[in-house]
Amino acid sequence: MAQAAKPIRKSRGVLGALALTAIAIGLYWGLVIAPPDAYQGEVQRIMYLHLPSILTAYLSYFLVFVGSGMYLWKREKRDDILAHSAAEIGVLFTALTIIAGSIWGRPTWGVWWTWDARLTLTAILLLIYTGYLMLRSLIEDESRAASAAAVLGIIGFLDIPLIHMSVYWWRTLHQPPSILQPNKPPWENVHPSMLTALAISFAGFLLLYFYLLSLRYRLGEMREKIKARRLERGV
Amino acid sequence: MSLLSETFLLLRKDLLLELRRRDSLLTMFFFGTLLLFVFHFSFDLPPDKVAEMTPALLWLAFLFTGTLGLAQLFNAERENHCLDALLLSPLDRGALFLAKTSFNLILMVLVEIVVIPLFWILFNLNSWNLLPQLFLVTFLGTVGFCVLGTIMAAITLKARARELLLPLILFPLMIPIILATIRCMENVLRTGELGDALPWLRLLLGFDVIFLTLGVLIFDWVIES
Amino acid sequence: MRLSIDKLSKAYGFLWALRDIHLELQSGQLVALLGPNGAGKTTLLKLFAGLILPTAGSIQLDGATFAPGALDLRRKVGLLSPADHLYENLTVSENLRFFASLYRRRHSPAALVQTLESVNLGPRRDDYVANLSSGMKCRLSIAKWQLLQPELLLLDEPYGVLDGSGVDLLEGFLRAHCAGGGVVIMASHHVSRVLQLCSHALILHQGRLTFNEAKQQPWPSFDRAFSEFLPHGGS
Repeated sequence: MAQAAKPIRKSRGVLGALALTAIAIGLYWGLVIAPPDAYQGEVQRIMYLHLPSILTAYLSYFLVFVGSGMYLWKREKRDDILAHSAAEIGVLFTALTIIAGSIWGRPTWGVWWTWDARLTLTAILLLIYTGYLMLRSLIEDESRAASAAAVLGIIGFLDIPLIHMSVYWWRTLHQPPSILQPNKPPWENVHPSMLTALAISFAGFLLLYFYLLSLRYRLGEMREKIKARRLERGV
Repeated sequence: MSLLSETFLLLRKDLLLELRRRDSLLTMFFFGTLLLFVFHFSFDLPPDKVAEMTPALLWLAFLFTGTLGLAQLFNAERENHCLDALLLSPLDRGALFLAKTSFNLILMVLVEIVVIPLFWILFNLNSWNLLPQLFLVTFLGTVGFCVLGTIMAAITLKARARELLLPLILFPLMIPIILATIRCMENVLRTGELGDALPWLRLLLGFDVIFLTLGVLIFDWVIES
Repeated sequence: MRLSIDKLSKAYGFLWALRDIHLELQSGQLVALLGPNGAGKTTLLKLFAGLILPTAGSIQLDGATFAPGALDLRRKVGLLSPADHLYENLTVSENLRFFASLYRRRHSPAALVQTLESVNLGPRRDDYVANLSSGMKCRLSIAKWQLLQPELLLLDEPYGVLDGSGVDLLEGFLRAHCAGGGVVIMASHHVSRVLQLCSHALILHQGRLTFNEAKQQPWPSFDRAFSEFLPHGGS
């Protein structure tokens, strides 16, 4: 067991180092090399954190959905650990997105918070998955907590498109998505070095995400092992 | 076929029990009325503003009373471990979901039938002729609320502080229903017809259909330990 | 019918409630399930009834296992829990009709009345269950399972609340059930009564099956196993 754990730990270390490097390069590219935005000036550089972190959060909620579905289907503890880990890190990245967005919004829109569609949607995501974590912690019986959370993980994810649609129809004030504008390839709108910075930063966030996920997953596994050990020593 | 007959059997049992004790219906009805008074005093709105606020105020009242109903939804099964008796039986779990959903739906609709006209009286509104359309929109929203609410009530059944937890996880998921019903009601009140709100109505119907189907399919996993 | 249990274990948190249970039971067996408080008797009955899922191992009834959707299997298993599983605010006959419809057992009103008469509840058939004494609730449970006709009938301490004629009634029902090809597993602390009735005895001690034998007269091995956990003998 110990021999098998070593290479995994090593590769996890490599993953973490890669994440750190990519984020550092991405930040350097974004803060120094890329030109300031024509309209927003220097403050737009916060995008290099903001956009990757929300995309990572969405990826995370998708993994919650996958883990939840797999758990209900196969009843394997590891799928539940995956869903739980992904939910925790997803909440972390969503909160980061909101904080970064708020800092970006203050100089751009003049307010810390506005009830614009994308902001609202992000806030609702934070509420749903904080609720998911609360649900888990408030159910004593572990397998019951796992299935309850799995149901919420599935329903929450399926609800996202509906929430998205409704808050968009309700009110839209946000700048139109700047990267993926229809009819125009992205490189015509944005300075190429901005795109490079964003791409590197996104890669860095992804690596960081999987690094954190593997750590959190390992933690869940270790909890299971401790439980199994204590069970063995019990009766 | 058996799904429907089992649903009917369970629903009849729940209605009979409710008829004998009237716990949920009475508390929900009084709470709904109470909220109207609270709204009246806390907002103190001039008559022309009331019409604008009506959909939002009504839906706040329905959300709160509905949550009260959901918190008591499985009370009949709580005593004597009757939920175990149902789970022990060859009952299709989807039928249990449908029965509980329709039970809460019936309670909420009964409350709404009283609370909406009462709102018109208390706030001196004149648009009585629009009530049928408003009821229809409210009904579709209430279906969505009960569908998702029943699933959430079932997964929080064994949780600590479940009455507090239930709205915490339910309300964020209910955003599409809340926004869609309020927009539809606004349009009805303003123009007398749905008009621009037609996409909202479709969203409402979509929500109802998606989660109703999902509920029937996964309630097996929802309710079993 | 045939009940096969293999390596059955159930853990609650850090404790094993049941550990490595092996058991084979066949039609006609009337099994006494004995053991001190906390030995795991109720947990074992709940597992057999499919109300909880095992942590490890399997339970097979005629080759089928409990899983979501295994509804035919549920029709074959009954759990008589003396004062439980009845709706307090339905009358005696409403309860019977409700459960009979739930199990899709067609019974004429006359048959219902006759069953109620046989457990001496005929005059009380329109009373609310809430107004019955616990002994009468137990009689009603007996009537309920007579109508529902499971193949495997599980009982959790039915003796405590019954009077003399109630005990006779119960024992007559259980004998008839086994004679008709059913299996009965009864958890009880009323050892002397159960020993007379049963054809087979199991002793659970701290989650393990320490004794599993068909009845003999006399039965020194039973006395030895039994005295291990209850040095002063049974009731």
